[in-house]
Amino acid sequence: MIAHQLALIRREIWEHRSIYVTPAAIAVIVTLGTLAALMFASGFAKELDVAIFGASNIAGEAERRGVLTAYFLLFFALFLLAVLILAVFYSLDALYAERKDKSILFWRSMPITDLEAVLSKLVTAVLVIPLVTLGVVVVTHVVNLLIVSAWVAAKGGDVGHLIWGSLPLFDNWLAAVIGTLAWALWMSPFVGWFLLVSAMTKRSPLLMAFMPLFVIPPVEFIFLRSRYFLDAVILRPGKIPLFRSMDLETFFDEDSLHLSENTVSLVAYLDIGRFVTSPSVWTGLVVCGLFTAAAIYVRRYRDESY
Amino acid sequence: MASLVTAHNVSKHFGNVRAVDNVSFEIEKGKIMGLIGPNGAGKTTLLKAILGLTDCRGDLSVLGLDPFRQRKKLMQNICFIADVAVLPRWIRVRQLLDFVASTHPNFSRSRAEALLQSTKIMRDSKVRELSKGMVTQLHLAIIMAIDAKLLVLDEPTLGLDIIFRKEFYANLLGDYFDGERTILITTHQVEEIENLMTDVMFINDGKILLKASMDSLPDTYAQLVAAGDGAAKARRFGPISESEMFGKAVLLFENVSRENLAGLGDLSTPSVADLFVAKVKGARA
Repeated sequence: MIAHQLALIRREIWEHRSIYVTPAAIAVIVTLGTLAALMFASGFAKELDVAIFGASNIAGEAERRGVLTAYFLLFFALFLLAVLILAVFYSLDALYAERKDKSILFWRSMPITDLEAVLSKLVTAVLVIPLVTLGVVVVTHVVNLLIVSAWVAAKGGDVGHLIWGSLPLFDNWLAAVIGTLAWALWMSPFVGWFLLVSAMTKRSPLLMAFMPLFVIPPVEFIFLRSRYFLDAVILRPGKIPLFRSMDLETFFDEDSLHLSENTVSLVAYLDIGRFVTSPSVWTGLVVCGLFTAAAIYVRRYRDESY
Repeated sequence: MASLVTAHNVSKHFGNVRAVDNVSFEIEKGKIMGLIGPNGAGKTTLLKAILGLTDCRGDLSVLGLDPFRQRKKLMQNICFIADVAVLPRWIRVRQLLDFVASTHPNFSRSRAEALLQSTKIMRDSKVRELSKGMVTQLHLAIIMAIDAKLLVLDEPTLGLDIIFRKEFYANLLGDYFDGERTILITTHQVEEIENLMTDVMFINDGKILLKASMDSLPDTYAQLVAAGDGAAKARRFGPISESEMFGKAVLLFENVSRENLAGLGDLSTPSVADLFVAKVKGARA
């Protein structure tokens, strides 16, 4: 079973090269963006000297951590967006393309069950795409930090003190891993739905998948005067129960001259316990399971493929 | 002889349409069975049932397994080619071999590589870059490298030119069939497999019209080309079909002794195609 899963997941990566090409393309864009920003900044030599001097002598470690974390968050958000788009298009294509090109007949001639085949597609969408992207995030982070380090060093700054000494590297990465995987699990009912549409629809899986999302809320409101679907489905992405509630008054307290280390720790803002014990998370997983089971059923029993 | 496939009162209905209608038959080990039928006769539905791709009513056993419920186990000992175009077009030859090697317990990578040596197929080529004939060669190389007990071929040479078709069947007989394996094949080009088959089964409107060994056909069926008196006398033996060719009557007989027909015209064994047409027309009459 595991050997089959590995072979099937490898097959998915062969077929959907966008799983690694897209994050790699974003990595290139981020790196070019960093280089462009540094070239732009180089035009302000005097201000730059003051900034490096200020960062070295005035700003505390927490502030430097804050700046470096903000930089990480900025480009990590781009990758997260990529994961979302990739997972949507991948899962919509996963069981549709094989029917469209009739290769399903070949795949089904192998001793692989429909359960194994569909499961590999679910695992790819929920686990492999996020993990591949996270790998690229880490590499991009390191490469860009090296570029910035070289630039700061060339301007006379103490890289060990300004960057690497203040760098919350593992905090950033751990938060990224937790955040991405939690996000993937949180969004898994959508992946399950997309897989089912992909297994069922004869054409336009994108349209068929999103149409109910646009049609049901107004219909529900007109006839039932309620907005349960909107709250439970459409607004779900923004309701992930992963973050600790932030005390904004303390955060912006003017008396607090220095940010404490916790305020620049991303992991500190994540509440894994809340996520794991949230009924919404488990409900979502059950819904994902039901949609996936339906997709397996459709792949197993539909007759039009041959 | 041991039966690989046993069907007893097997039916498959789609609404009111009886795609397969209460058929019973056996396919024995070491045979090359040709399943012949017109479009919509129920061939593909029957093959799908045998391959476990669709459920059906009745008792169907393939290699002692319930094909629909034990499909994974079944697929370890069955290979099938449904159509030449089913290999995924995006995959590279090397990847395809890697995939089959890692999922099929009875696949011999070295045998597949050896079979591909005699072709012009490059390992780094994508399937979409290969010609239709090369795709078939590739598919056949994979299939022949799997140590399967039953090979099911559904129109395997559809759309191929005559050279590739001949080559396909030559490879199949030369490199694959060893008398131990069993092949179930459907095709519209009956003439091409006529000399290959050990057994033949006709299907029409979901019913089996004929199941016989090729060796038994000359004993059961006879074709007489006769004119005038000869034809008139022959008609008294009740031909199952009659047609005209170059002004002569072509009469096809079932279970009529050749001694009775001798001297009435040119006597021969009918081709499978002629026999098929006669049986189908007879069933419709």
